This record gives sequence, structure tokens and C-alpha cells, in this order.
Amino acid sequence: MYKLLIILRYLRRKLTPMFAVLAVTLCTAMVIIVISIMGGFLENMRHAAQTLEGDVIIQGDMTGFPHYQELITQIEKMPKVKAAAATINSYGLLNLEDGLHTVEIMGIDPEAMDKVVGFRQTLFWTPEKIRESLDRHAPPADASDIAKRNYQLQREFLEKLNLADMAMKLQAPPEWSPRPRNDSEQPDATREVKPAPAIVPGIHVGGSNIRDEKGQYDFHNNRTISSAATLTVVPVTKSGGLLEPAARKLIVVNEFKSGLYAIDANRVYVPLGLLQEMLRMDAHADVDPETGATTGKMNPGRVTGIVVKGVPGTDVNALRDGIYQQVKTFVSSHPDTLIYRVETWEEKHSTFLGAVLKEKFLVTILFSFISIVAIVMIAVIFYMIVLEKTRDIGILRAIGASWPGIMSIFLGYGLAVGIVGAGLGFALAAAIVKNINAIQDFLTRFFGLTIWNPEVYYFDQIPSQMNPVEVTVILIVAVIASVLGAIVPAILAARMNPVEALRYE
Amino acid sequence: MSNPPALPLLKARDLHKTYRMGGQPLHVLRGVDLTVAGGEWLAVLGASGSGKSTLLHLLGGLDRPEEGDVAYHGENIFDYGNGKLDRYRNTQVGFVFQFYHLLPEFTALENVVMAAQISSSLLSWPGRRKAARQRAGELLASLGLGDRLRHRPNKLSGGERQRVAIARALINQPALLLADEPTGNLDADTGRQILEVFAGLHRQGQTIVMVTHDERIAAAADRRLRLEKGRLALGAASGVN
Repeated sequence: MYKLLIILRYLRRKLTPMFAVLAVTLCTAMVIIVISIMGGFLENMRHAAQTLEGDVIIQGDMTGFPHYQELITQIEKMPKVKAAAATINSYGLLNLEDGLHTVEIMGIDPEAMDKVVGFRQTLFWTPEKIRESLDRHAPPADASDIAKRNYQLQREFLEKLNLADMAMKLQAPPEWSPRPRNDSEQPDATREVKPAPAIVPGIHVGGSNIRDEKGQYDFHNNRTISSAATLTVVPVTKSGGLLEPAARKLIVVNEFKSGLYAIDANRVYVPLGLLQEMLRMDAHADVDPETGATTGKMNPGRVTGIVVKGVPGTDVNALRDGIYQQVKTFVSSHPDTLIYRVETWEEKHSTFLGAVLKEKFLVTILFSFISIVAIVMIAVIFYMIVLEKTRDIGILRAIGASWPGIMSIFLGYGLAVGIVGAGLGFALAAAIVKNINAIQDFLTRFFGLTIWNPEVYYFDQIPSQMNPVEVTVILIVAVIASVLGAIVPAILAARMNPVEALRYE
Repeated sequence: MSNPPALPLLKARDLHKTYRMGGQPLHVLRGVDLTVAGGEWLAVLGASGSGKSTLLHLLGGLDRPEEGDVAYHGENIFDYGNGKLDRYRNTQVGFVFQFYHLLPEFTALENVVMAAQISSSLLSWPGRRKAARQRAGELLASLGLGDRLRHRPNKLSGGERQRVAIARALINQPALLLADEPTGNLDADTGRQILEVFAGLHRQGQTIVMVTHDERIAAAADRRLRLEKGRLALGAASGVN
């Protein structure tokens, strides 16, 4: 009983243990913050990857596989499947206003894709975003009336536009579509304007979108929306030969932002039917390669992949296995359907996700080494405390305290320092993690320090996520480390000769 | 038929103790024999460095001799296991030191109660706590410290600190009070007051072994022995056993 009393009293009345508590607090907070940021980063990556690919991807080769509608119907009947959508993945050139870009082209049916990956949510320019951007650039109160009026007109016009709806149809409004031309290649005012097919590039395809220091994009800088872009693709034959390149003029109706920079800088979405047609993967009459005459058969349309979304809470690996079996059965009854891979989104991005995961592990190891320094620090501080309390140890031994009793005082002291330090460290880490973006804004505003540069990293905001299991483990390790740090000084205290301790000056 | 002779409270036999000072052995005790009868007040006189404190530490089980034994009620305390020796120091012996040796973080009352607390487990203490605190309060009050219970040692005078130390030594009602120069750090008046406290305790039947270099202080005891050249010699009054 006296041990508890002494521990509490020593803890309360001396400055030295406060340093030990501070060491544990800082170490605990540091590890929790780093793990939370790395964890948040990883989680955001996973979320971004999942919103791009769904849960399971059925992949064919570049020439695609037929009967995909039938396969989708079969897969969608599986109990754990929420939705499935056909896609074509290809590569090509995109001639935007600012130049030519190589792009990864994804042909999709936006409505079907939305059911699988939440396509609509990745569309960047929503009425709210445009409004926010315009608000940031409203003319000042002393601006000229003309400037104010221009701004108002522009605002009214833009607010009426629903870029998200346009992107969901992948179709440009007639007023943006090119007017049909007459025989002499002049625009023909008498002919009806048909809505042109649309394209949705990633927000970093081309250079028109620049993030400001807060990671925000300004709509008024955007020169891409409503402009025409020429997409060029090269169809390939089943034997790998190249066919005549196909080029189409498309209108940019919106941009998407998945959060993964590599995707946002390279990918464009176009209508599935259009890409099928450009890549000669649409349904067409079969031609005899010898004679060049049609055989009277029809070749069905093809796609290169199917993305599948499981019902919430489904184990993706089990879902993949189920789909694999389904695909296997399907392929055996449709020998012309060449599918070479069924994988989860995590498997598809395993190299990238694995790198981040390993980075997190590496950082944890590095910080564990730093924590060893903290243990040594605690040992030194405790040794100082033992020296300071040498006479007390002699007194306690003289009035009957046992050596295990003395040892347990210092071990208990270490435990108490660990518990208090870990508790404070947790509170500090929680406060910092919760407000990390506000702290960074503050540092940027007052000291010009930018810790997290949104122009460099994948995400606008510093990602952070406190994982309860990881935090619990860190707190337990911090407490154990404190007790470990106290062990040697505690043994020294217990082995002290009481007579010498009493004489200690 | 005669009754067998009563066992002495404490009997030290042929105690030897050597320290190393600057690499040289210093044979402080060279075969000390001593008997302490229950209820007596014994003073051991000796010059500084003569081994008085060492003798007291051996009698109290705080240190171990190279040779010899200390029999308490006929049992050699150095044959005890660690736990039993700790209990001996806690319950059978009470130490009073020249420099008081109070725990600076604790109040006068807490310092006294601490000795009672040490012998209690976490579970048994709540049942003993009230009685122990009451006895500590009474002891301190009887030593004139009734209004100093909640003062820390640094707020007490030397005499007050020594009285707190006496109260602490007495809290577990030990059979033997071991005092090491109890007045050595006090002025003459305060020293006299402390000596009166010892005299009062002695009148109530407390066995006291006190070591001092001061003949006048030793004069208050029933029996005086002198520690010279590592051995006990006859003091002013009684004989060596």
C-alpha cells in the first residue's frame, strides 16, 4: 500500500519525473501522428483505387472479348454482386487546346459505371465547385460597373450549366457541338446540330488546372471545358497488326478527379460505343479475309474489361473467387471469349499500394528506433531519480521495506510515468491529427511554411486516420517501454545497501 | 527447583565488521559481545568513527556482520530470511537517527503512519488505516506535535523532526528502540527535551539502546558501555556481558 502512496507522491511533487512523462508523451504522440498520416494516406489511396476500379476487375486483352452483355447479366445475378459494367481500356493521343497528350482512354457507359464505382462523385466541376470558385474571384467593391456586370453575366451563365449531367450522358449540348458542314466544308446553318460525343479528361490531363497553395482549383482558369479535343486511337487486330488510326473530335464537358495523380493526369473517359467504333470493336459483319466478302455472320461487339462492385461488406477475395468460377464456366461455353485475368482492385494496384504499405512499415520501424532512445532517456531520468531518492530508499529499508518493495516502487513509478505519458501523448496526437490541416494552414499563413504541398502530393488535404487498434498497440508499447526504462534503475535501487543509502549525501 | 534464567531481549555475540576505506580494510568491530535485557536503557559511548552506528545497524538487522550473531529472543536474526528480517526491522525494532531521516515529501503524520503501512498489504490496509492514523496522531500529540501533524519535515524545527522520528520508531510498538546520536544534531535545550522523551519512554518500560559520543547524554541511561578499538569496554556504571 505504501508503494502506491509513494509513487503518487513522487509523481506529483517532483520536476524530474515530468521530464520522463514529457519524453513518453512526445514519443507516443510522434508515432501516433506519423502512423495516422501514413494510414490515412494509404486509406485514401485505397479509396481512390476502389472508386476507379470497383471491387473486382475482369480483364481481357487489348482486342477485347465478345458476349460481355451476357456475362454481365450472369455476374449481376450472383448474390454478392451489386453491379457490373463493361469498359474498354486503350491508349491514344489527345489533342487539347494546349497541345498533344498521350492518354489512357477508358470507354464507359456512365450510368452503368456510376453503379459500380460512383462515377458521378468523381466528376470535378459541380455547380457548388463552380460557385465556390467564382466566389473566390468576385470583383472587389470598387470594381467598375462593367466588370461587375460581366462577372454577374458569367455567373448566371455558368450556374445554369450542369456539367455533371452532361458528363453522365457523355454528350455535349448542341450549342457546344460543331455545326454540320456543307459540301464546301462551310458550316451549314440549315442543318440540325446533333449533340457531339463528349470526353471527360482527368483534371491534370493538359495543364489548364493548377492548384493554388490551398489545393483549390479555379474554374475561371479553366480553358478546357466546352473546347473541342481530337482523340486519335490505333485499332489492333487479333493477330496484333495495326489498322488505320481513327480520330474523332470530342467536346470536353467536365473533368474528373479520383485523387490518384497518376490517373488524374493520364486518363480520359469517352462513350463506350464511340470507342468500340473507333477501335473496331463494335458489332460488325464478318468478312472472309481471303475473299474480302462478307460471310453473312455478325461479329458481336467487344470490350476489354468488366468492373464489378460487390454488395457492401462483401469480402472482395471471396467475391473474386466466385466471379472467377462464373467466368470459367462462361468461357467454357463461349470459346471465343478470351479472358485472361480476374483480380481484385487491390491486386491490380498491389505494386503501388504495396509501396505505400512498406513505407508505412519502414517509418514505423524508424520511429521504433527513436522510441528506443526514449527508453534510454527514461532509464537515465529514472537513474537520476534513484540517486535523488537514495536516502529515502535507506529510510524505507530501515523502517522495514523489503527490496522487492523498493523495486516495485520504481517499476510502479515507471508504469505511472508510462500511463500518464501515453495518455497525454494520445491526447496531443488526437488534437494534432484532428486539426492537422488547420495547423498547416496556420503555419503557411503566419510563417510561410508549407509542410504538405498539395501541388506535389496526391491529395489536397493531409490525409489522417487514427486506427483504434494501432493506437492501442502504440499506447501499450509506450507503457511497456516506460517500465523497461525503469527496470535497471529499479534493480539498482533494490540492491542498494540500506546503510550506505542512509549515509548518502 | 529454581526457574530457568529469563532469556535476554537481545544478545550479540562476537560481532565483527570490516569496511574498506580507500582500498584498505578497516576493522571496525572486532568481536563485540553485548546483552540487552528487556526494559533497560543502555548507552554505548564511543568516539566518532569507533563503530557505534555500525553496531546499532547490526543490532537492528540493517546490516550484516562478517562474523558473529545477534539473538533476538534467542533466535539469530541473521538466520532469518529476507522477509522475516524486514518484518523484524518493521515491527520489533524502531530506529531513531541523528539526522532524523524523514521522507521529505510526506507530512509528519504520513511519515509516522508509513512504518505501519509498510507491514500492511493493499487489501489489509483499509481495515488498519483508521487505527494506525489515530495511534500516529496520539503519539505525535504525546510528543507535543499535535498541531504539526500536517507539516512537512522542511517546515519543522530540528527538535520537532526528531520527535516525529521517535513517533515513527514507536508506531508499531517495537520491543527495542535503537537511537543513533539522537541529540547529536540538536542544541543543548532541545537535546535535553529529547532525552526527557527517552526517559519517559523508559519509565513506561521501553527497552532503549542509544549510541552517543556525549558522556552527559549517556549519563541519562541505566547502563553505559564504551566502544574502543572495536570492542566494548566497561563504561561508567555497569559491567560488560
